[in-house]
Amino acid sequence: MSVIIDSATRVLVQGITGKESRFWTRHMIDYGTNVVAGVTPGKEGQEVEGVPVFHSVRRAVEEFPADASLLFVPPRFARDAVYEALDAGIQKVVVLCEGIPLHDALRMRRAALSTGAMVIGGNTSGVISTGDGAMMGFFPYWIERVYRPGRVGVMTRSGSLTNEITARIVEAGLGTSSIVGVGGDAVPLTRFAEVLPLFEADPGTDAVVIIGELGGTMEEEVAEAIEEATFTKPLVAFLGGSTAPKGTKMGHAGAIVTAGKGTVEDKVAALEGAGALVAGRPSEVGELLQTVLAKVG
Amino acid sequence: MRLFEYQAKELFEETGIPVPKGRLVSDAADLDGALEEVGLPCAIKAQVLRGGRGKAGLIQLASTAEEARAKAEGIFDSIGDGRSLLVEQALDIERELYLSITAEPVSGSALVLASAEGGVEIEEVARTMPEKIVRERVDLSEGLLPYGARNVMFELGLEGDEARQGSAMLMSLYDLFQRYDAELVEINPLVATESGALVAADGKVTIDDGSLARQSRFPLSRDYFESDIEYEAAAEGIPYIEFDGDIGLMCAGSGLTNVIYDLVNYGGGSVASYVEFGGPNYRKGAKAMELTMRSKPKVLLVVTFGTIARADVIAEDLAEAIGRLQPDFPIVTAIRGTGEEKVRELLGGAGLEFLDDTEDAVERAIELARVAKR
Repeated sequence: MSVIIDSATRVLVQGITGKESRFWTRHMIDYGTNVVAGVTPGKEGQEVEGVPVFHSVRRAVEEFPADASLLFVPPRFARDAVYEALDAGIQKVVVLCEGIPLHDALRMRRAALSTGAMVIGGNTSGVISTGDGAMMGFFPYWIERVYRPGRVGVMTRSGSLTNEITARIVEAGLGTSSIVGVGGDAVPLTRFAEVLPLFEADPGTDAVVIIGELGGTMEEEVAEAIEEATFTKPLVAFLGGSTAPKGTKMGHAGAIVTAGKGTVEDKVAALEGAGALVAGRPSEVGELLQTVLAKVG
Repeated sequence: MRLFEYQAKELFEETGIPVPKGRLVSDAADLDGALEEVGLPCAIKAQVLRGGRGKAGLIQLASTAEEARAKAEGIFDSIGDGRSLLVEQALDIERELYLSITAEPVSGSALVLASAEGGVEIEEVARTMPEKIVRERVDLSEGLLPYGARNVMFELGLEGDEARQGSAMLMSLYDLFQRYDAELVEINPLVATESGALVAADGKVTIDDGSLARQSRFPLSRDYFESDIEYEAAAEGIPYIEFDGDIGLMCAGSGLTNVIYDLVNYGGGSVASYVEFGGPNYRKGAKAMELTMRSKPKVLLVVTFGTIARADVIAEDLAEAIGRLQPDFPIVTAIRGTGEEKVRELLGGAGLEFLDDTEDAVERAIELARVAKR
C-alpha cells in the first residue's frame, strides 16, 4: 500500500520532451507507473517512450484523464505549469526543480491552499511508492539496498539524505511504503503535517520516518499533530544541521517568524516532547524503528 | 543576495522613502567633498555586508571634520581595499522603530513585521518582548492595501502626521518587496526625529537568489563576497563556505552536507571548508576540488549518496582532478548512489579506498586530520 500515488494513478508528465525527462519517464514506466500522456507546448503529435505528447494540459486530459501531474520544467516556468495543471482540474502536482523564485512559490502555495489540491515540491526528488511500484520523480529504485518495499512511510526535505536514511531502514531489515519528498525550499508547497494524515490512513504504513533539518517550522507542526493525536502511529525523526553555524541565508525577519522555533535543538525538544523518537545519527534510525515497531507488535 | 546599505537606500529614495542626506565615499581623499555636501555632525558607515557593524566599530559619529577624517581612515583600514563608506547627515533621534516585510511560507503570503522597539535586533525583541511585535499578512495577488498599512501604524501607536508618513513608507516598502523579488526588506532603525519626521536610518534589502535571473539591476559581482574563492564558487553556482578547521568537505546535496558537518563536529573534528556540488552541479567535482584545495585542508572528505548526482561520474571526475592537481593531503571518500557499482574500480585507479558507510568515512577523516596535525 502507499500514499499519494500507486500503480493505478494516471500520471501526466509536463515538459516530457526534455532529455532528463525522457530518461526518467522511461524509468517511471519500467517501475510500473501508469504514465498516460505528456505535455510540451508546440510538440503535440510526438511520442516519448510510447507516451503521446500534447500541446497543453487541457488537450491532454480531454483525451487521457489524469489524476496527477509531474513537472519537469525549469524553475522560471514552474508557476505557469503548476497553474496550468490546477486549472485543468488535476488534484496532485509534483514540481521537481530547484530554484523556484520565492514570490512565485508563495503564490503557488496560496493557490494550492485555495483549490484544495496537493502541490508537492519544489527542490525535491518527488514521490515513490515502493509498496506499490509507482513513482513520480527520480529515485534510483534499482539500488536494492536503498529501495525495498515495506511498511515504513518516509517524508523528507532532502534527496541526498533520503538515500542515506532509507539505506539504514533497509539495513535494519525493513522497507518503505511511500517516500514523499516535500523538498528543500523555503516555501514547501505541501508541508510535512499535510502528508501525515495520508500515512495515518494508509493500512500499509506502520510507522513514519521524517528527515528534516534546521529552519522553518515543519518539524514542530509534526510534533503538534502527534500531540493533538491526529497522528497516532510511531514516528522517528532524523534532523540535519544541529551544529550548523547561524545561517546568513535567512534574514533576521525570516528567523523571527519562527520566534524560538527553527533551530534543530528546538525541533528535537518539540518532537521528543510529543513522544517521537529522534535519531542522533543516521545509523540510529534503523534501531529506533525496530524498537517502536516491536512495541506496536 | 543581500544588497549594500547604500544600494538599499538608493531604492528607498527612488520609491519615496525618506533617507538621511548622504554620499558614498570610496577613497579618503573624497571625504571633504562629502562632508561639505552632508554637513556636520555626520555618521560614517562602512559598506560591508557582515552584521554587527555598530559593535565592530564600523559605524561612527563625528562632529568635526578632523574627527570625521580620523574615523574614516580608521574604518577604511579595517575593512580593506575596494570597500566604501557611506557618509550621512546625523539625525536628531527622538525614538527608534522597526519595520520589515518578509515571506510567510505556511499561508503563502507576505508578512509585515513592525515594532516600536527599533534599533535592536528583532530576534531579541521576539525573544524578550514578543507582544511588542505587530504582524500583518499580505496576499500577494492583492498587494498591500492602504488600510493594512494604516492598521500597522495604529498598532504601533503612531498618530496624526506620523501615522500618515509611516503608512506611506510601508506602502513604498511593499512596492520594493514586490518589484525586486525580495526575501527581506527592512528598515531598522526607522527613526522618528525631534522635528516629527520619519526617516530610514538603515536599510536592508535581500533579493531572493532564485529570482536573480529576472532582477538584472543587481548583477552578481566580487563586491558581494568576502573572498575570491567565495565569489568564484558563487559564479559557478556552487555553495561554498570557508571555516578555519582541518577537514575540507565535498558533498552532494545540502541535506547530506549539513549532516556530514554535524558528524565531523560530533566526532571532535573541525571543518576547513564546505562545498556542496550535488543536483545540477554534480559534474563540477573537479572545480569543487580546486576550490576546496585553496582552503588548505589537512584532509579531504568526499561524501555523496546521489540520485541525479551520479556516483560514477563523481568518482571519475575526482580521479581526474587528483591526477591533475596532485593534492598533498589524504582523501577519504564514500561515494554512493546511482551508478555506484562502477565506483570501487574508478577510485582504486586513483589510489583511493572505497568506503561504503558515511559514519566510517567521517571517523577516518577525523583520525587522519589528527595525525596530520602532529
